[in-house]
Amino acid sequence: MTLIESFRLTLDGEDHTVPITPGETLLEAALAAGISAPFSCQEGRCGTCKSWLRSGDVSMANVRALSPRNQERGYVLACQSRPSSSEPIWLDFDLSEAQSNAG
Amino acid sequence: MRIGTIDSIWRYPVKGMRGEEIPHIFTAFTGLMGDRIYGVVAADGDPGHPWHTGRDQEEFLLYKPSYKAGEELLLPQHLDATYSEWEPGIDPIYPDSEAFKVKVETPEGVTYDDIEDPAFISDLEKLTGRSLRVHFTQRGQFDARPVSIFSLSAAARLGEELGMEIDKRRFRANFYVEWDNQDDPFYENSLVGKTLKIGEWLEVAIVARDPRCEMITLDPDTADDTPKLLQHLARNHGGDAGVFAAVIQRGRVNKGDPIFLK
Repeated sequence: MTLIESFRLTLDGEDHTVPITPGETLLEAALAAGISAPFSCQEGRCGTCKSWLRSGDVSMANVRALSPRNQERGYVLACQSRPSSSEPIWLDFDLSEAQSNAG
Repeated sequence: MRIGTIDSIWRYPVKGMRGEEIPHIFTAFTGLMGDRIYGVVAADGDPGHPWHTGRDQEEFLLYKPSYKAGEELLLPQHLDATYSEWEPGIDPIYPDSEAFKVKVETPEGVTYDDIEDPAFISDLEKLTGRSLRVHFTQRGQFDARPVSIFSLSAAARLGEELGMEIDKRRFRANFYVEWDNQDDPFYENSLVGKTLKIGEWLEVAIVARDPRCEMITLDPDTADDTPKLLQHLARNHGGDAGVFAAVIQRGRVNKGDPIFLK
């Protein structure tokens, strides 16, 4: 299966196209691209890199910081997320819209 | 040198649940009396942090615990007898576990007269789908350090930076303080490595800045989340807010006590 080579990232209302290499997490790719994505522990515990996966598929090694409510909303932890299909990924750190959608 | 004042004192009878403001407290080498005495532990929890908290169930933050006992859980009996010039003093004996009984009121208004009543855990398990148990210890279940300190000025400045009102209770500190130095809203960060005397007896070493997690994103009255607060801290303040302290000399602290830099 061919995974994606880049993904769309939204932060502070701006869209970015972020290159990603096999094995990289979405957060690692964003930081390598010079984007000041929020993060802290990078172990899936603190929840700082919580973001909305608006499209695409990822696998996460650790989801401790994601409550059932967060998972229902489609949130992921960027530090734990790696692409898992060829579907285009759109990762959104501006979470207010996701919350509105969740009602 | 005097540097500030204790604005308010808070403890959290059950780890992760709502806190209670108290007028004074005995602070032992192991933290505030009655702070985080109970915890709810999840069988499927992270072995390194197995507690069920608002990170797992946001509304857990709205559960309201309260001790049945009063003054005896604020100041131990015979406390005065253990104050002496012989530093660092002796921690007085605490009451037996029976005295720490706590009742819990849920956000829906259901009251359990004793958190150790099997009905409490049974109902919480049904609600969350997790296997849970209540864990009790008389000496506290804080994550890292026995005392946490956060300033009103830090809350106010974060609110200005984010364009929203920041309720200090999001930060779940033990001591909320007002610094005399109003030039630096995050003055507590400059105190790491220093020793403070609070009131007549307590001395604490400020050991580290407090790295924050998702708990601060939860509104203490509604459990609605504001992720941008944690994102802002990470991108502008190193992810930290407030400081941790270790107790050098134990003692009583009162609301309004002065804070001195030693």
